Amino acid sequence: MKHENTRIAVTETLMELAAKDSNIALVCADSLLVLKAKPFVDEYPDRFFDVGIAEQNAVCCAAGMASCGLIPFVATYAGFITMRACEQVRTFVAYPGLNVKLIGANGGIGSGEREGVTHQFFEDLGILRTISGITIVVPADAGQVREAVKAVAYTKGPAYIRIGSGRDPVVFEEYVPFELGKARILRKAGRDVVIFANGFILPRVLQAAEELEQKGIKATVVEVHTLKPLDNERIANVLDECGAAVTVEDHNIIGGLGSAIAEVIAEEVPVPLVRVGLRDTFPRSGATEELLDHYHIGVKDIVGAACKAIEKKKSVY
Amino acid sequence: MNQIVKRNESADTGGGAMDGHIEKLTETARLLRQDIVRMIHLAGDGHPGPSLSVADIVVALYFEVMHIDPSNPRWPERDRFILSKGHACPALYAALARLGYFSLDELPGLRSLESMLQGHPDMNKTPGIDSTSGSLGNGISVGLGMALAGRLKGQDYYTYVVTGDGELEEGVVWEAMMAAKHYNVGRLVVFIDNNEMQSGGPVDKVSGLYPILPKVEAFGWHCQEINGHDFVEILGALERAKAETEHPSVILAHTVKGQGVPFMIGDNSWHKRVPTEEELKEAMIALGGD
Repeated sequence: MKHENTRIAVTETLMELAAKDSNIALVCADSLLVLKAKPFVDEYPDRFFDVGIAEQNAVCCAAGMASCGLIPFVATYAGFITMRACEQVRTFVAYPGLNVKLIGANGGIGSGEREGVTHQFFEDLGILRTISGITIVVPADAGQVREAVKAVAYTKGPAYIRIGSGRDPVVFEEYVPFELGKARILRKAGRDVVIFANGFILPRVLQAAEELEQKGIKATVVEVHTLKPLDNERIANVLDECGAAVTVEDHNIIGGLGSAIAEVIAEEVPVPLVRVGLRDTFPRSGATEELLDHYHIGVKDIVGAACKAIEKKKSVY
Repeated sequence: MNQIVKRNESADTGGGAMDGHIEKLTETARLLRQDIVRMIHLAGDGHPGPSLSVADIVVALYFEVMHIDPSNPRWPERDRFILSKGHACPALYAALARLGYFSLDELPGLRSLESMLQGHPDMNKTPGIDSTSGSLGNGISVGLGMALAGRLKGQDYYTYVVTGDGELEEGVVWEAMMAAKHYNVGRLVVFIDNNEMQSGGPVDKVSGLYPILPKVEAFGWHCQEINGHDFVEILGALERAKAETEHPSVILAHTVKGQGVPFMIGDNSWHKRVPTEEELKEAMIALGGD
């Protein structure tokens, strides 16, 4: 599998944006090396601010900067932004609707991998989803991260982009456009079941769809890269077409994509749903692929979930 | 520790050309204190004690020192103000109303559904509010961001923050102190409204915060200590803080919770309490009002 570093993708895109817009700034919390942001510092030293290991301060500083017209990107580990500085994000960024962009690294247990729980972040999306006014993006790979960074930079208001560890699989070999807020149909094989997914987990989902195909099951795969605002219309349409759904995410099964889709299902298109994700437990250290398999986010788990969803559909009708 | 400062006492210590200014500021502060007590009485909710302790600092900044344009609240070059102790916003709302950011008629609406005056400051709902605030400890950090942005943009505005003493117990305060020194933001001036009380009682009974100034000094800030109800001292300290362009500045202002209303002084129930009709009358008499 090919890999490309999503952190470098952020830094390079910010440099591209900074060249065109003097208001683009980067705020770190001793996360310069995490973000591989040295080239940004070399090129734009006066637009780089490192406040030390102090995420609450980083977020509030960025809020102050944004209120004076800058477009600050706060980039550090996902959990330290969304948990350590959660209240600052909520009260000083989201509530006043300031133009602060948050970049969260090590999103998911796969990205945190060998670091263990302290650096594996699988609650970030659920936490942010409950805060009004933040655009939440979970890009599939480095190429999509580049597009997402540009998209949020040009869209006024608070935004969060989830990135990875630096060893991030390439999902799209070629350039694909990115449209903020739009769910994307990645594979339209048929109407047996729809699998919703986002982030670095997508290669597993696509492989599962292949295996399902071999079993004669036609699965449609929809990438929900923008978790908020959710593309309710397209999601409801696909749910209606397929009549059974699976969600796959590298996140706690509570609060993230699975919950978001469950809300659409419960209120708009009641169909059977099976969720694949971290089953509300604290994981261990380990290699990414092993970890994901161990915690039941494997290809066979996705295949099994799809079969189960289809079974449920049959028993309903 | 703190002594109760009697109204107008400070005017006598001024001297020279400042006398007129001091008298005017003293008079404005007197009216502001009336606004505060009346507003909280009419609204049926709010924090009179902390609003009264910070009133003179707010008056000195808004009516004498800050470069602002009430007809253009978002003027990019304006000086910024953050009331980190956002619960004292009645003082700020009264100042903004008296400066013409909005009508004085808005004041009694404080904390009610249709009002522009939220329970704690909201930068989008109230003209003249530069930063949303009220969750304690964050103001210095937001101010640091504003100061850094000003320096980057080549604008020479000052950012003023007023924090309570109790809220210095929050860790993010010291994160901001450290970073402000690291970046040597000279145009950041922080008042500590040192009224020695917090919600739960005397600050030194609740925490091990004191002494404050040696800690701030150790963080590399330019430090001054004044009587926060004496306009001569407030203005003098502001002049020195503004002249110090190499380091961020702290002005530790000794203040009295409930200043100006004798029955509120020394009774921490006035941290958040609504004066009755009777109490309003008594307060107005003390404040030389109707």
